[in-house]
Amino acid sequence: MNPEKHLPLTETTFYILLSLLEPGHGYAVMQKAEELSGGRVRIAAGTMYGALDNLLRQKMIEPVLSKDPRRKMYQTTAKGAHVLRLESERLKHMLDIYNRIQGDG
Amino acid sequence: MMKFKIFWDFDEEEKYLNGMAAQGYIFKKYSIFGFYHFEPGKPQNPNYRIDYRTFRDRKEYDNYIALFEDAGWKHVWGTKNSGNQYFLPMSEKAGTDIFSDRISAAARYKTLYSICLAHVACFICYLSVVLLCSGGNLSGIAFLTPDLWERTGKDFWSAFFFELPFALFRVVPLIFLAVVAIFYCYWGTKARKIYKLSINEQNSHE
Repeated sequence: MNPEKHLPLTETTFYILLSLLEPGHGYAVMQKAEELSGGRVRIAAGTMYGALDNLLRQKMIEPVLSKDPRRKMYQTTAKGAHVLRLESERLKHMLDIYNRIQGDG
Repeated sequence: MMKFKIFWDFDEEEKYLNGMAAQGYIFKKYSIFGFYHFEPGKPQNPNYRIDYRTFRDRKEYDNYIALFEDAGWKHVWGTKNSGNQYFLPMSEKAGTDIFSDRISAAARYKTLYSICLAHVACFICYLSVVLLCSGGNLSGIAFLTPDLWERTGKDFWSAFFFELPFALFRVVPLIFLAVVAIFYCYWGTKARKIYKLSINEQNSHE
């Protein structure tokens, strides 16, 4: 399946894939996204659960063994990491064009 | 106290529960076919939020509730298969809503729509089996007495009333399921409409 079809990523998806490069449970991802974005991105619980559910179905994240019986742990898969890299290249490309036209240099 | 209400729109349902709490009726549980159970309490101004989800297994359901609890939301009512999941904020960190974007809030209606569709599909399968078994003749499944409708007078009525309870027994479940299927059809259409509407609204904001 073509990984390009997942682009562009929503902000929520971008931060989840990035946070889950290291294994973590749902709430840990919510905290990490807020921390990484300097408090700008706050993913609410319902949105978070729905996004994790979608990413699991798209095989961009996978469940990993959890010590806590109530909380599932997830991790970004190779496919997820690949899509994340494609997205960062897409964003960088856009930023380069912007800087060329609007930037000071 | 029990109230009968049907909502198509989750926002309206949230407003209703908040309004009841303001009058001192605290929502306790929801039972099938639209019955809301309330207990009297101190009038208050809560912020009910409703998610719509069913779960594969108990473990996944616990994981879901744990995520909401971690984020500061108390699960007020819901079961693994109830669909509607009711939440109340229990700490500051909960914020004001369980959704941080409109698309994920609208996705509830998509889930609801596909569940309605699955129910209707089940009924159509059931109806097809019944039709096949009766050789395409629905009236044939009610009364099985041969040449019942050719008989006249006392002969007809005695045979008719003799078989009527059996006929009802065969037909009532079918009618009941048909009514449920029509209800799901209507509910699904409503959900689809609200979903399309909120997605379009989202697009026009971009």
